[in-house]
Amino acid sequence: MATIALKNLSYTYPEAQAPTLNHVQLTFNPQQFTLLTGPSGTGKSTLLKLMTGLLSLPRTQGSISYDGQDLAEMALTDRAGQVALMFQNPNQQFAMDSVENELIFALENRLVQPDQIDAKITAALSFVGISELRKRELNHLSGGEKQKVALAVIVAMDSDVILLDEPFASVDPAARASLLKRLVQLRDEAGKTIILADHDLTDYATIVDQVVRITPARQLATVPTSDWSALFSAFAKTNQSDQRWPLPDETATPLFQLQQVALKQGSHQLLQPTNLTLLKQHNTLITGPNGSGKSTLFESLVRLISYTGKITYLTDDIQTLRRKRYARQVALLFQDAETQFLNITVAEELAQSQKYVYGDYFTQARIDAAMAQLNLTGHEDQVIYTLSEGQKKKLQILIMLIMQSPVLLMDEPLKGLDLSSVHALVALLQTTLASTKQSLIIISHQLTGLTPLIDYHLLFDQHQLQYREATT
Amino acid sequence: MNPSIKLLLLFIIALEISFTMIISLNITLVILAMIYLLAHRTKLRTIGWLLIVPLLPAIGLWSTQYINGSGNKTLMAWVLFTRIYAFVFTGATFTLTTNILQLADALEQNWHLPSKFAYGVLAAYNLVPKIQHEVQIIRTAGLMRGQQLSFWSPKLYFKAILVSINWSQNLAQAMTSHGFVEDAPRTHYRHSVLCWQDWAILIIGVGLLQVGIFLVPWV
Amino acid sequence: MKWAKAWRLSDIILIALIGIFFGAIFMGTNYVYDVLTAVLAPVGLSGLANELLLGLWCMPGMLAGYMLRLKGSATLGELLAATVEMFFGGQWGISTLISGVTQGFGAELGYIVTRYKHYDWLGLTASALTTTIVTFGWDLARNGYFKLQLWLLILYFVVRFCSMFLFGGVLTRLITDLLDRSHVLKSTHTN
Ligand SMILES: Nc1ncnc2c1ncn2[C@@H]1O[C@H](COP(=O)(O)OP(=O)(O)OP(=O)(O)O)[C@@H](O)[C@H]1O
Ligand SMILES: Nc1ncnc2c1ncn2[C@@H]1O[C@H](COP(=O)(O)OP(=O)(O)OP(=O)(O)O)[C@@H](O)[C@H]1O
Ligand SMILES: [Mg+2]
Ligand SMILES: [Mg+2]
Repeated sequence: MATIALKNLSYTYPEAQAPTLNHVQLTFNPQQFTLLTGPSGTGKSTLLKLMTGLLSLPRTQGSISYDGQDLAEMALTDRAGQVALMFQNPNQQFAMDSVENELIFALENRLVQPDQIDAKITAALSFVGISELRKRELNHLSGGEKQKVALAVIVAMDSDVILLDEPFASVDPAARASLLKRLVQLRDEAGKTIILADHDLTDYATIVDQVVRITPARQLATVPTSDWSALFSAFAKTNQSDQRWPLPDETATPLFQLQQVALKQGSHQLLQPTNLTLLKQHNTLITGPNGSGKSTLFESLVRLISYTGKITYLTDDIQTLRRKRYARQVALLFQDAETQFLNITVAEELAQSQKYVYGDYFTQARIDAAMAQLNLTGHEDQVIYTLSEGQKKKLQILIMLIMQSPVLLMDEPLKGLDLSSVHALVALLQTTLASTKQSLIIISHQLTGLTPLIDYHLLFDQHQLQYREATT
Repeated sequence: MNPSIKLLLLFIIALEISFTMIISLNITLVILAMIYLLAHRTKLRTIGWLLIVPLLPAIGLWSTQYINGSGNKTLMAWVLFTRIYAFVFTGATFTLTTNILQLADALEQNWHLPSKFAYGVLAAYNLVPKIQHEVQIIRTAGLMRGQQLSFWSPKLYFKAILVSINWSQNLAQAMTSHGFVEDAPRTHYRHSVLCWQDWAILIIGVGLLQVGIFLVPWV
Repeated sequence: MKWAKAWRLSDIILIALIGIFFGAIFMGTNYVYDVLTAVLAPVGLSGLANELLLGLWCMPGMLAGYMLRLKGSATLGELLAATVEMFFGGQWGISTLISGVTQGFGAELGYIVTRYKHYDWLGLTASALTTTIVTFGWDLARNGYFKLQLWLLILYFVVRFCSMFLFGGVLTRLITDLLDRSHVLKSTHTN
């Protein structure tokens, strides 16, 4: 049980000009569940890393203490017993091959005697409700299962304070609900202090004891209980945009035809044998819970992963097409923007796209206009890897648009973008498509602002991929 | 048997047969290794695969000596041919019966290798399947921008290194978060034993090898 | 083990990952090797396939030495790559490890003779040269090169050095230039 005090805490990244956190003052009471919110890029992850000591706080920049003991003075080996962090990305989160070995690794680090390890593992796994995963390989688990394992590790290590950094970003609603239930149990039964950062505020209203927000001045402010209902209900509303699109016209030209296509990841069945037609020069939206297999579907459409059944592009089985030619026809906008970049500066990326462009729509003037529209003008000579996430995303979309591949598959194109960027982007896409006649297939969780672009809607859920009926 | 001692023994064997020219000794080693593998229930298919894999380099080395060698060309050609098989089969007695975790345990516990090396490498090793896929992704991303990334393209390696940097930071932070502290003591759940039998096997093994090399009048 | 202190956990993982990544890329070159070997075998020059590609296999060591600038990074980078390759069933069995050590140490030697100060063309060239010499010495024994005719030995040596210089030197330099320009190493390393 620990009281956590942040005193006059400031932090500036060595490469950054402005401080990410500025004179933060706050106390977290023991056995409380705190929700930490704030727009993207305001410093939530930074704060949590500082609180675990993964980022070290310069001595002159304030202090973080647990029950009066300064984190900086705490022995490194004691820190994990005091505070543990669970990450957003379920991958690259484990050192070992199997669930059991990862738990052993963590307990060995905590100097638990070998004869007690077995019992602790059994207890932690059954607490989280995943005893059957004990011998499984971590590589073969779904995102939700990995996050449950991560929680089990924290439970086994028995840290007093549990910090979670957007732990549900790649977790479906069922897994999310079950993880939340365990967290509440950890607070109520084991007396843990919990601080959780999240964008999506669904389900927290009745659970948390405290809501803390990062203010524009880069400080922390407690949201008064009287404002909670506004905060949570505003969220519930934006989350329910439930637009309906018509079913596709049977007579239109097919773009992709799936015949008995089934998808698997490891031994995990994602899509049951499915027949489906996607239409040319129409934009199709694909939605579905995390981990249902949307990205996997895109990877099979561009032949990055194997599938069973037959996929036809226009008239040909895609397996019979030459890789190089096919890649110019069907391009994929990867979920992670950095994957797309091949060069160092913004200008170099643009130049590369212009060099290998497929059509003649994007003249220099149009590119300049697009850069201005996306608020990227002036960044031409900047190194891509120093751009903010939102800027990276916009640039990624622009360079792929310039290529004018007949088909563009977009995986989460709006990730990390604020609303004005979304509108600018959608406007750009609309004017471009009007001339270039490209076909878009878009995976997106976020629909706000995107809807004007969409003609048809596919839902990927429960191993099924189907056009959504106009009425439910 | 202790994996580190086993590896040491195999290492010594590989080193010594690199400097000897006894065809029968190489063949004997292959046969012994094959018996060992069969005793450990290795599938016949795997053994067949081990026979095929080194065939091409073996023929290459053989023909080089046979055509462009000096002195007793035939002898040297066959020495090299059989030597490759000895390398592959003795190596397989290790890789097919020991996993990298056992080796890491032995190196950490018996030889006091700093645990950050043992676990750092293990963490990376466990990403191997992801890495193969990631290389495909990098290549495809290139093709979609009109650029073929071949094995001599700096960009291909550059992208691979960027991913490595990213992943290594994530992994290191996750391990720290799971209580791992560099150079701090840890307990050991899996006990790696190094007993006198291991040393005995090593000494006898190396001894027999010397007998094989210097005393047995191979024909 | 004083040298070990300089290594941080993330460095170790990074070097191992780079080794594995490069190994995965090289897998794609196996067919080049196989074809060359098969074509050259009838004239007894199949060793050239090995000589031409060897620089590629030695690249992780030279690059690790150049990138991390820690004592032992070249050796360790190459050794780790070799260990993983052995477990994934390379064509050379247990001798992969020995090659890993000799190649890594060969690369390291170049940085040693330039006193870990020359992270420029001098250091890279020195490293390419020492790698060529050390690995060639080892192949005199392992691949029976000492029995070959002199003209062939000289040819092999020259080709090997060219390969080392092109892949381990020029390509490494091009890669590290990209890294320098991208500013990503700054956040991992402060030298
Ligand atoms: N290593 C770094 N060097 C320089 N700046 C950084 C670094 N890491 C993060 N930043 C910057 O610090 C700010 C805060 O980042 P942080 O990741 O803490 O935000 P966040 O609130 O967690 O955002 P999100 O909700 O998108 O995860 C951002 O503007 C980011 O660009
Ligand atoms: N190599 C693998 N072995 C086993 N399962 C895997 C592997 N790779 C991914 N998975 C799992 O397959 C499922 C499908 O992943 P995919 O990325 O396609 O989901 P998604 O629908 O795109 O989710 P999100 O909305 O989070 O992007 C996930 O549960 C993932 O954890
Ligand atoms: Mg964050
Ligand atoms: Mg996805």
